[in-house]
Amino acid sequence: MANDKPHATGTVAYGDVDRKVGIEVLRQQGINVEELVEKLIDNAAAEFASTYYYYSILRMYLAGHEDYKEICEDARLEDRQHYELILPRIYELGGSLPYSLHEFADRAGCPAAYLPGTDNGAHPPAEEPTAADILTVLLESERCAIRSWLEICQITAGKDPRTYDLASRILNEEIEHEAWFIELLAMERDGKVRPSGHFRRGFPGEAPYSRNRPFSHGGL
Amino acid sequence: MSPEEEHPGRPTPSGGPATYQVTFELPDGSSHTVPARADEHVLDAGRRAGLQLPSRCEQGWDLVCAVRVLSGEFDQSDSRRYFDQDREAGFALICTAKPRSDMRVRTHQSRAMRDARRARGLPAPRGV
Ligand code: FES
Ligand SMILES: [Fe+2]
Ligand SMILES: [Fe+2]
Repeated sequence: MANDKPHATGTVAYGDVDRKVGIEVLRQQGINVEELVEKLIDNAAAEFASTYYYYSILRMYLAGHEDYKEICEDARLEDRQHYELILPRIYELGGSLPYSLHEFADRAGCPAAYLPGTDNGAHPPAEEPTAADILTVLLESERCAIRSWLEICQITAGKDPRTYDLASRILNEEIEHEAWFIELLAMERDGKVRPSGHFRRGFPGEAPYSRNRPFSHGGL
Repeated sequence: MSPEEEHPGRPTPSGGPATYQVTFELPDGSSHTVPARADEHVLDAGRRAGLQLPSRCEQGWDLVCAVRVLSGEFDQSDSRRYFDQDREAGFALICTAKPRSDMRVRTHQSRAMRDARRARGLPAPRGV
């Protein structure tokens, strides 16, 4: 019989499928799980809607700067990876994506990376944006991402090792992204060398810290 | 147009930007009055004076630095997302607000501002 030797119930009864020990132990550590989930959804929205989507457009307008374009592409695909990485954690912690994409985008924790000259996405660019303009948008987007994921690390450090691990893997890449765009912008706009320590990714959007599982069976 | 032309305020003797006095009311009940130039953001003035003030995006977007404005005028045009209704509801985002008069503000109002946005059907992050 299944309940021959029930364990101490604590806050989760023997065989209970409505509560998770994986959540209750976080509460015991002083984590406000509901608040943490809201922050994770805001951050996921920033990855998906504020950067991944808008970086797609920024990338298109870097034509002729093939090196910038490919580095922007790495940052774009890695931001999508950040969304993918944190998504299961939202559900594990009892959260959910909003059921409307509009609602998701509206609650993003960071501003949309609009193409310069579009009046916050209201119309096509009146004039073609310069590479320096685009690199500036990319740089400031990464800065917001760093602050957002650092906050998650600070909330979870020593208390929620799983969320901490995921957030810190993302943070590693956001810090790299900022350094890349500083290097590119400093030279493009000011003719100055600001080395970032950048090496080409092994393949586009490799996400060396944040890659979770292959997107397809047998993928990289 | 320079800030002085736009808002005469009180130019410094050297003719630099006007300087105003901003009083911060903190959650511990203390208040602190610090000088803030017309060409700087109120958050920067507070931090320069050693106040511990919350912020995250620092782009006038995520509401983490929100204050309730008890008195005074401010320019919020550096913010990435700030609505007329935010001003009507009495909130400022000091990471991107420049003073246009002496001001008195109550800090740590991100949740109140988030709730005010939601009550008006306006977008806001939820995890603040
Ligand atoms: S710190 Fe984000 S709005 Fe000011
Ligand atoms: Fe990211
Ligand atoms: Fe990034």
